[in-house]
Amino acid sequence: MVYMQSTEKILLEFDPETKNLLPALKKVSAVFGYVSQGDAEKIADYFNLPLSRVYETASFYDEIKLKKEPALVIQVCSGTHCALNDSFRIISEIENALKIKAGDDFNPKVKLEIISCLGQCGEGPIVIVNGKIFTNVTASGIHEILEGWI
Amino acid sequence: MNIKDNLKIITEHWGKINPLKIRDYIDVGGYEAIRKFIEKMKPEEAIEEIKKSGLVGRGGAGFSTGEKWEAVKKNKGEKYFICNLDESEPGTYKDRAIVDNNPHLLLEGIIISALAIDAKKAYIYINGRYIKQREILEKAVLEAASNKFIGKGIINSHYDLEIEIFSGAGAYICGEETALINSIEGKRGEPKFRPPYPTETGLWGKPTLVNNAETVSNIPWIIINGGKKYSEIGSAVSPGTKLYVLGGAVRNSGVFEGPTGMTIGAVIDKLGGGLKKGKELWFSQIGGSSGRLVLENELDNSLTFNKKSEIPLGSGAVFVFDKHSDIYDFLLSIAGFFRRESCGKCVPCREGTFRLYEITERMKDGEISERDKEAIKDILWTLNNTTFCPFGKFAAVAFLDAVEKLKILDL
Repeated sequence: MVYMQSTEKILLEFDPETKNLLPALKKVSAVFGYVSQGDAEKIADYFNLPLSRVYETASFYDEIKLKKEPALVIQVCSGTHCALNDSFRIISEIENALKIKAGDDFNPKVKLEIISCLGQCGEGPIVIVNGKIFTNVTASGIHEILEGWI
Repeated sequence: MNIKDNLKIITEHWGKINPLKIRDYIDVGGYEAIRKFIEKMKPEEAIEEIKKSGLVGRGGAGFSTGEKWEAVKKNKGEKYFICNLDESEPGTYKDRAIVDNNPHLLLEGIIISALAIDAKKAYIYINGRYIKQREILEKAVLEAASNKFIGKGIINSHYDLEIEIFSGAGAYICGEETALINSIEGKRGEPKFRPPYPTETGLWGKPTLVNNAETVSNIPWIIINGGKKYSEIGSAVSPGTKLYVLGGAVRNSGVFEGPTGMTIGAVIDKLGGGLKKGKELWFSQIGGSSGRLVLENELDNSLTFNKKSEIPLGSGAVFVFDKHSDIYDFLLSIAGFFRRESCGKCVPCREGTFRLYEITERMKDGEISERDKEAIKDILWTLNNTTFCPFGKFAAVAFLDAVEKLKILDL
């Protein structure tokens, strides 16, 4: 069964108070992958705020996306624990294998992001592929993980 | 050091009780502190006990908790309490461990703190990445409410309290209390100019008390055992126990509780079990990514929250680097972190962290020029002295030490 969710329905879960703006933006971004301009306008109307005010908040937070994300998003942790366990070699392995550069968003199909600590330091390096968390990743083991997604 | 070396306040029941069952916590004496607070104490007396205990904020700044409470308490009208669980300092996961192992201890602390300052509403501001921890807390709040510890007429008294969990959305700076408040108000999580302090003008312009989750977790013990007893634990300047988060080349990584005032060497040897076999100590970083670097000859420094102490305890993270650690990986890790997390409000921090990262990349690739070396000193000075909030200073701390103590520019 395909479960359809509309922006309007999501917004109704929240009272139109400004303290719910950030949670509502997060939810819309999580459900649709990003907050489109149309959605931002609906949110502005719902909360009775100027559109610029919605974007002001939305553009600040990492978890709220304002552009459609590529089909494949790879995130590698570079907190101290992970970094000293070879995060940066894993990053360059991915860069070479997929011919992309960490931090760029030119490629419409795939994106590689360097992220900060998730608090799972004991199990690092941590790699997240489309939301799925891989622990204790190695520079050689990353290829096997990538194969499952390309 | 004293005989109370092995005293556990926060970690006492970890691993022994089911964190998802309130009954387990009550069976080991949980929620007794609330009973004592409601039945036998006036809020003023509780605040007096906290002041007497000498408890200071565990988030890193080390401000006296009792004084903060008093500052909010003396204001009239609507007030808020916020528990700061926006833990995002790399290498620090003590608050996460508290929620994972004993969420009701934290809740009990929150309830007492909020009631003591006459707040009717408390928020838990939790790191947006802590999804599992949010679920644990949600369940704990429901259970506590059905046992009448939260809601209207707490254990049939005149006290009311509502607790709401608010998830962050991925911004380190929201751990700073004014930025955190902005974030709940649906604004950009940028820090505000202080004064006015949140204790006067906080959430929605009302007096607001913001306390770190670890600080809050100490409250039930102090209420039960008294402030005087707490003040005898650990170092005299910032008494109590502290959660140390160990990592790197130590034998035991993880979260450990020990008294404040331990020397760095004792933390590594006693809590961390010394270095892993075959590893040789190079330096360690104390207090997360924004912490100082210490060499072997400084291991005798004791760790306290004293403003004057050379090596502040910070978040309590202790990361040990051995002689084979790649210093450039480390520097790139922290430079990258501060570049990503700089909020962009002020130029010195926004540009400084960005340029520092660029130079570090060149350093890692072995392409650093004489001009870069000069620029590093300039950037570090600017970060250290001219930024709007302490974030810029944080970004410079470890790097400055790396330049001065590890002589990275001469390598």
